[in-house]
Amino acid sequence: MATDVRLPGGTLRLSSARLALLYAALVTIFTSSVLLAVYLLTRNALEREISAVVRAEVEDLSDDLRLGGIAQVAATLRLRADSWGRTGAVFLLADPEFRPVAGNLTAWPRDVVPVGRSLPESAMVEFEIAAHERGESVLHPVEARIEHLANGYWLLVGADTSERLNVLRRFGLATAWGIALTALCVWLLGAAYARRTARRVRAYATTCETIMRGDLTQRLAVDGSHDEFDALAVAVNAMLDRIEHQTTTLRTAFDSIAHDLRTPLYRMRMRLEEAQLREGLPPEAHELIAPALHELDRVQRTLATLLEIARAEASGVTTHGEQVDLAALAANMVELYAPGMLAAGLHVSLDAPEAAHLTGNRQLLAQMVTNLLENALKYVPAGGRVQVSVRNTPGGVSLRVADNGPGIAAAERAAALRPFVRVGDAAARAAGSGLGLSLAAAVARLHGAELKLGDNGPGLVVHCELPAAARRESPGGVAQVG
Amino acid sequence: MHLLLIEDDAEAARFLAKGLRESGYVVDIASDGREGLFRATEGLYDLIIADRQLPHFDGLSIVAMLRKNGKHTPVLILSALGSVDDRIEGLRAGGDDYLAKPFAFGELLARIEALLRRGSQPEVTTRIRIADLELDLLGRKVTRAGSQIDVTAKEFQLLEFLARRVGQLVTRTMLLEAVWDLHFDPQTNVIDVHISRLRAAIDKGFDRPLLHTVRGAGYVLRDGD
Repeated sequence: MATDVRLPGGTLRLSSARLALLYAALVTIFTSSVLLAVYLLTRNALEREISAVVRAEVEDLSDDLRLGGIAQVAATLRLRADSWGRTGAVFLLADPEFRPVAGNLTAWPRDVVPVGRSLPESAMVEFEIAAHERGESVLHPVEARIEHLANGYWLLVGADTSERLNVLRRFGLATAWGIALTALCVWLLGAAYARRTARRVRAYATTCETIMRGDLTQRLAVDGSHDEFDALAVAVNAMLDRIEHQTTTLRTAFDSIAHDLRTPLYRMRMRLEEAQLREGLPPEAHELIAPALHELDRVQRTLATLLEIARAEASGVTTHGEQVDLAALAANMVELYAPGMLAAGLHVSLDAPEAAHLTGNRQLLAQMVTNLLENALKYVPAGGRVQVSVRNTPGGVSLRVADNGPGIAAAERAAALRPFVRVGDAAARAAGSGLGLSLAAAVARLHGAELKLGDNGPGLVVHCELPAAARRESPGGVAQVG
Repeated sequence: MHLLLIEDDAEAARFLAKGLRESGYVVDIASDGREGLFRATEGLYDLIIADRQLPHFDGLSIVAMLRKNGKHTPVLILSALGSVDDRIEGLRAGGDDYLAKPFAFGELLARIEALLRRGSQPEVTTRIRIADLELDLLGRKVTRAGSQIDVTAKEFQLLEFLARRVGQLVTRTMLLEAVWDLHFDPQTNVIDVHISRLRAAIDKGFDRPLLHTVRGAGYVLRDGD
């Protein structure tokens, strides 16, 4: 019957957050790959530039060697002795025993003495040189090329790479920050969007719940952003307008019919009673009038029950919310029915705590328990057992009425809660008005609970979890979402 | 006893007045709320029977205005609004009793009688005697012809309610309201079983039955037929 469409807020939030995280991860991976590729390309370009410069210098000096021999190379190098300070270029011409001849290095770097005095062609070597800057000894990384000249002399041409490393480090740092900030932004945007979506969906769900509790005047909030949510809300609201209109028409018609029926029924009853009181009436007339009055009462009771169901379904909130002790109420009802049940060969028992409080309508709750007991009285054959249990639960109070009678087939349970539906065999169908369970279900709904029919193997078990206080609508009906 | 009936349905008013007069009451009829309020304020009535839905002033407003003017005449409200909530609302508004239409005339008569006797009954009673049946209201004990009878707490409540109205008709709905605090009629006559158990307890083995069933109306506790 009443399906619980409440959205589990926790799950919703989790799934949106998961989506945001997934997007953030994807964007981060993509951005990282692009920036890493840029970094590697830049590093390669810088390295190629250095080796190109070094090669060009080596070629110049080779020309000097060809034109003027070692003396010419030494002279050129002496001219460029200050080049370290200007361009970071490093030169050293050394004799076959690696003793410096000319250049801006004081000694041949120890860690790059070619093993076996032979070198692979145009290999680049790396080492560090100590320089004195502002009274401090600083190590500078240098990348250089060593040439074995024709007469056994060694020529070292290199460049200080600290600047290049600095650039790369800064670039790397910028890249890392860029990736981190991008990921953060994407995640924040995703989370904000997910939150907004979740909030609106939850607001809609809350409004729908309010409507289901009977307040048909509620509408989904349209916030004027003209987005897909607004489009959905406008469409749903149009549907709700129609439903409300139809429901109001039906209810008005139903109310007027019920009221218009009461007056003639009332007069009919009065006339019959007047006839009954007339003196000199043959006894046969009394035999006719009494059953007619009895039938009239039955019609009246059915009408009253229907009205009560309609009222319970129509009003979203109980009109007389009061503290009700369901344990005491159940005890009262069991006490009322026990002798009748005993006479019908049924054994009724109560299992209830000292007290079980909830906010509700005592008379309607009593009517619910009455209908469940009447039901058992009607359908459970002699020798059967009826067990009424009341329990305090974390959320409120649970009520359970179980019997070992014929029960209701699983397929017929939903229908059994609808007005005028009677289930079971012909004899069972004839016994009731078909309104008892329907009214009980309406009362449960009015108290924010759902009446559930189950199998007691064998028999019927009717169960409902009544919340401690039926939830009330917030003013305006817009959900308050934290 | 002088009654005021405020009812806009002429047919219903005629029937009720006729029945009440036959039962020995003097009845005045007012056909709308304004006339009803005027008569109720000016006249000296023992009881007012007011329909809930009336032209000009409804039944509940009449009760409220009477009470504001210091009039404590008992008021019985009749209504086509049969809902449990309507009934309770009617009682809360200051009505002394509430009857949903359509009702059995016997039910109305029983309730009128109960309301009229309510004022004259001494409230502080510790013992009630009906023939050789004696109720000890403090000790919650029942004896008949000197020997104690075991009754349950609810049976005692039932018996006390009947005993306080000895000789008066008590209907099933009156018992349901007073003993079980239920303002609706169960479909089966669960009360009958309680009454027969009570009767078995107090009348069985005695020549003179005290608890009588009035067919189609209710029960009465009295000495004699």
